[in-house]
Amino acid sequence: MSSTTWRNVFTYNKYTQIAARALRQSLKEEERVAAEKRGQTILRYQKWENGQGGQQVYLNPPEEKGAPPKSAAV
Amino acid sequence: MSALRLLSSAGRRAPKALSLGRRGYAEVADKIKLSLVLPHQAIFTSADVVQVNLSAATGDMGILANHVPSIEPLRPGVVEVIEGANGSKKWFVSGGFATVHPGNTLTINAVEAAPLEDFSPEAVRANLQEALKVASGNSSEEDKLEARIEADVYESIQHALGSR
Repeated sequence: MSSTTWRNVFTYNKYTQIAARALRQSLKEEERVAAEKRGQTILRYQKWENGQGGQQVYLNPPEEKGAPPKSAAV
Repeated sequence: MSALRLLSSAGRRAPKALSLGRRGYAEVADKIKLSLVLPHQAIFTSADVVQVNLSAATGDMGILANHVPSIEPLRPGVVEVIEGANGSKKWFVSGGFATVHPGNTLTINAVEAAPLEDFSPEAVRANLQEALKVASGNSSEEDKLEARIEADVYESIQHALGSR
């Protein structure tokens, strides 16, 4: 945290997720593969109106099968 | 009220300023209850330990039993847990908070942590070079700052691995 200027740009949440991602990328191969999964999130949302659910929409649509989900650092 | 009494008694009994060298305490009557938890895993759950060394944002510190209650944000750095007279275990922690509660309990919440053996020095070196390149390049301020944060983490890991 030598550059505390990040507070002007990032939230604390984003800062911690960036540091966590850096740690995960520095692990040895097997641990890294397991850890990378922890850093990934998928979001789908759906609008409800008059008790009816609308279309379920991906926040970041996967382009094709097996596309990696978005990183947790939002 | 009891918190006030605890604070004043802890002040009288305050642990001496420690260097973070290899000092351990052979016979210690008082241990502190440590909970070191990550979102996906609990490394320690209310375990009795003798001493915990942390790298807090305000500086490196060693927590012994009956420490004054405090909340410390953690830098990316090493958390060292000394459980008894037989050596210590170290984890590199990406960040989080260390909270000493009244009642001799220490809780460390971290987002990511791994034992030092789980790190690959080549990966760290490569990542550090990559991050420094982005940080001194000409991308947006956000990207450069993000790379700067990552570079700080990689440098801390190198320092931790180097002085293992």
